[in-house]
Amino acid sequence: MVTQHGIKLAVYLVSSFYGDHNSKVCECLIRRGTLTLAQIIRFTELSRENVRHCLLALIHQNCVQAFSIQQEGAFGEAPKIVTHYMALFDNIIHHMRFPKFIVIVKEELGEECEKVFEALLQHGRLSFSQIVDRHKQTVSKEENFNVDNIQESFTKLVNGRFVERCPAPEPFLAPPSEEETPAKKRGAKSSKVREVSETIEQRALAAAAPMESIRFLVETHNWSDVSDKNNAEKLTAVTIGKKRKQDFLDTDGGLLDKDEKKEVLWRVNFEEFIRRLRHKACIANVMSRLNNECGIVLSAILELTRSSETKVNTGSTASVSINAVYDEVIKKQGGLGMNLERIRACLVELGCEMPTIRIDEEYSIDLKSIIELAQNEEVESIVLKRYGREAYRMFRFLSKSGRLHETDKIADTTFVEKKDAIKILYKLWKDDYLQMEKITVNGARQTQFLLWKVNRQSLWEHVLDEMYHAALNLRLRIADELEQEKEILQMPKDKVTQVEELRKRYERLKKVRIIYESSLMNLDDALMLFHDF
Amino acid sequence: MSRSISTSALKRKRPESNSLNDSLVDADRAVFNVIKSKEDMGIWTRDIKWETSLPENVVNKSLKSLLNKKLIKEVVNIKNKGRKHYMAAEFEPSKEVTGGAWYVEGNLDKELINVLKGLCLKIINSQKVVTVDGVYDFLKKHKVTTFDCTKQQIAEILNSMVLDNEIIEVKSTGLGEYHSFPIGTICYRIASGAGLGKGLKIGAMASIPCGMCPRISQCTPDGIISPSTCMYYKKWLDIEF
Repeated sequence: MVTQHGIKLAVYLVSSFYGDHNSKVCECLIRRGTLTLAQIIRFTELSRENVRHCLLALIHQNCVQAFSIQQEGAFGEAPKIVTHYMALFDNIIHHMRFPKFIVIVKEELGEECEKVFEALLQHGRLSFSQIVDRHKQTVSKEENFNVDNIQESFTKLVNGRFVERCPAPEPFLAPPSEEETPAKKRGAKSSKVREVSETIEQRALAAAAPMESIRFLVETHNWSDVSDKNNAEKLTAVTIGKKRKQDFLDTDGGLLDKDEKKEVLWRVNFEEFIRRLRHKACIANVMSRLNNECGIVLSAILELTRSSETKVNTGSTASVSINAVYDEVIKKQGGLGMNLERIRACLVELGCEMPTIRIDEEYSIDLKSIIELAQNEEVESIVLKRYGREAYRMFRFLSKSGRLHETDKIADTTFVEKKDAIKILYKLWKDDYLQMEKITVNGARQTQFLLWKVNRQSLWEHVLDEMYHAALNLRLRIADELEQEKEILQMPKDKVTQVEELRKRYERLKKVRIIYESSLMNLDDALMLFHDF
Repeated sequence: MSRSISTSALKRKRPESNSLNDSLVDADRAVFNVIKSKEDMGIWTRDIKWETSLPENVVNKSLKSLLNKKLIKEVVNIKNKGRKHYMAAEFEPSKEVTGGAWYVEGNLDKELINVLKGLCLKIINSQKVVTVDGVYDFLKKHKVTTFDCTKQQIAEILNSMVLDNEIIEVKSTGLGEYHSFPIGTICYRIASGAGLGKGLKIGAMASIPCGMCPRISQCTPDGIISPSTCMYYKKWLDIEF
């Protein structure tokens, strides 16, 4: 689900991080979907050279994925293999969250790992030797430079699943099955084709992803040759596309050196961070809604089951036995005094059913419902702020019941004057927060009833779009403030501190920036709540 | 006419209204009979005109004289406050007309609602977990209110408090603080956020100007409404300092 303002935000992010050309290519890809190089050149009206550079940079920053498919040739020509490029919207938005990711790594693995991790964030994709090289440059002479330390940090990052092997640069997708080909050949714009092409993108991602068994596998140096051969074998299908790519890498004079082809490239595993942030959000919600003890129990269970989660938005956790939960709980801060009875009480509050016979007690927590509650809270608080208390009550009534209700019924249940009720409902409807249906009854006299309902799916999309919009606005405001105070920022620091007026302006800027940036980070939490979790 | 037959049947049962009816002129009587036949539902002036097939001025005159004789009264119909409704004096307006127990003269009795909400909140605060029956019995036993509250009313009040997020509805688990309630009974307790004086949790979106902005749909970077010229942001920053 990519909304209009989501696209705007993504494009703005790319342009502020990587410049206007990149953002142009990116916008073209997000808005028009998967394209070939020639198409991108045509739509963006940039030079071939520029587009190539942009694509290379974007691939390197994990914003774009290439894949090749076989296309039917024109009359009499052999089918040819064409490389397509697709924008990875989520990964672009993740760029906004890098500070959060860094904090997680710092908290869990310490500063040494943080440095290695930052390098990966900054450069997108690096091989281990590149990480070492980069580290050499940044380390001052006094400090001891030790490759083993870096190796250790790096291994920790991979073991913690914070870093993963890069996906294949250009997986080859086998030609679509026979029923699909006619539609494809005609190049028609029917919706069916779009469905097919969507699956193509998903297929491309799936094909590009490294196998789960090697995804987090760090090899010692002796093995690298062997693995290279394996890789090469695995990628034989790609040769044609790859060759082309390598050609142009060579002609570019190498963002990537030739040697590097032998080395495994690594990148940050965004999925793991989103998973952790999701868990954090669940725990925070439970703590504020229920109590701290429930939060402790939930975090213990998540700790135990995290590694078995296969996708980010998994519905509920794997089942864990009560004893395992207990062992984990008492390790937690504040969990030492808890006994089995209290843990059970928490589990019930978290929505678990107690078995009647306590043999092999196992529990699983429904994370989806926690996320849903958190989403409700967010939307309801917007309604409260924007439309007032009575609207809040009416909205909650409709949202809870989840079906159509007549105006009078709503007014009666929520104790709102009927005259006001219809006004509020109308306002909510006008802003797309409610859905309305008119029903006309032909009795003795014709009467019209208005029925109202909260349509979660469309409303969630609407709210998400508004949030993207707000996030973009916040970023624009930050940029504006920095632009306005440019002269102070460019002045030498001691000069600013000397003049009272300048110092005040500087202080103000600092405060404003903190407010904006912390609001943006909070808003980003809400964005993830609706988009990723 | 069937209506006159039914009214004559009424006449026989109530001799005093009989004599009253006799003293009325024909038009008045016709109007009165129509109004009376509607019992506690009342009737709209235009419907009277339609049913009696009398001209408007005659109906109005009759209504005036009937009002003077205190045979009928004007009532407010909750569904159409602007329309004049009449009802025979001996009837009390029905629920459909008044809007139920929460309405006084066609207006929502907000004071009563707020008083009851306050009472319920106090009871829940002191007892931690309550049921509708519990609150009802408490109010009855301690004679807190000067009027009679039905269980239905208490349930409605509690429900609206749930919607306000002041209290939450839970199903008894039979454990801990729920031990006195059978498993599965619907109970009410204070919402943890509101109970601690924190008030309602304000979401991330709602705490920035864009979240409250009624014009967000018209806001664009280069438009008349744009983030760089936004007044809400300016005000927001002024408050934040």
